Amino acid sequence: MTTASPSVFLLMVNGQVESAQFPEYDDLYCKYCFVYGQDWAPTAGLEEGISQITSKSQDVRQALVWNFPIDVTFKSTNPYGWPQIVLSVYGPDVFGNDVVRGYGAVHVPFSPGRHKRTIPMFVPESTSKLQKFTSWFMGRRPEYTDPKVVAQGEGREVQPG
Amino acid sequence: MAEVHVIGQIMGASGFSESSLFCKWGIHTGAAWKLLSGVREGQTQVDTPQIGEMAYWSHPIDLHFATKGLQGWPRLHFQVWSQDSFGRCQLAGYGFCHVPSSPGTHQLACPTWRPLGSWREQLARAFVGGGPQLLHGDTIYSGADRYRLHTAAGGTVHLEISLLLRHFDRYGVEC
Repeated sequence: MTTASPSVFLLMVNGQVESAQFPEYDDLYCKYCFVYGQDWAPTAGLEEGISQITSKSQDVRQALVWNFPIDVTFKSTNPYGWPQIVLSVYGPDVFGNDVVRGYGAVHVPFSPGRHKRTIPMFVPESTSKLQKFTSWFMGRRPEYTDPKVVAQGEGREVQPG
Repeated sequence: MAEVHVIGQIMGASGFSESSLFCKWGIHTGAAWKLLSGVREGQTQVDTPQIGEMAYWSHPIDLHFATKGLQGWPRLHFQVWSQDSFGRCQLAGYGFCHVPSSPGTHQLACPTWRPLGSWREQLARAFVGGGPQLLHGDTIYSGADRYRLHTAAGGTVHLEISLLLRHFDRYGVEC
């Protein structure tokens, strides 16, 4: 009986964070990072990045364009823990502080070729109304200490009352 | 043993009359299936849509199964609940769908239903909230004893699931 030796495969990701649609906010920048399982490791390229700050175009499209390159290669022996790209978007609030405008995550596509992904973004919200007002006033919204939490399934729940 | 990787996201839900929704999900398989990595069930965060009416969870699913037989192909089941500003939770719908069996990326839309009670219970649900729930969760994905239920439709749960299959040809299964 022969046992197959663990086979290593490479996953090369080339692409860009193209643009965003945020009807209510302007002057945004985004950060991306990759979250992956234990059997994965990046071998080339950058697994994190911060983009430039972009403003909405003056025309009717109101587009927020970053055109920010993503270039990374992973190696792995197991599809479990397939990499996810986590995006966090930040922008200034009324007082000029940097506030999170959205978090989102999506798996890197599984088949070779050209793929376009539009990901919905969400922000954490405090449950008490007083805290919502203070955070709006002070310019400090609830933020995740580590954005990688967005890519995980555990710990998202709320205790039902 | 043949292996199946189920990797994807519960993207969100649409078509529910309530906003502020969360979803409890689980996966049910036959006895011959063994879960090698991943968590078999979970709960998403509560999402209140600010733009549009679809609630987005983007909840990742990453499961690695090993199996010796095709019986009991995995089924994902969901319970969608709504949470109001007081923190009380109310059932919005139950649903299930089979994990696809061809490799590749699939977009799934899973319809949901909720049990209706007597007219008294429906009236109470409209004013006070609450409403009947299933005692045993396996009725969501099994057909037995469904004839006892009278239900109404809920919204739809949207998923993107990708499937990777391995060693199925050793067992004479072509995929």
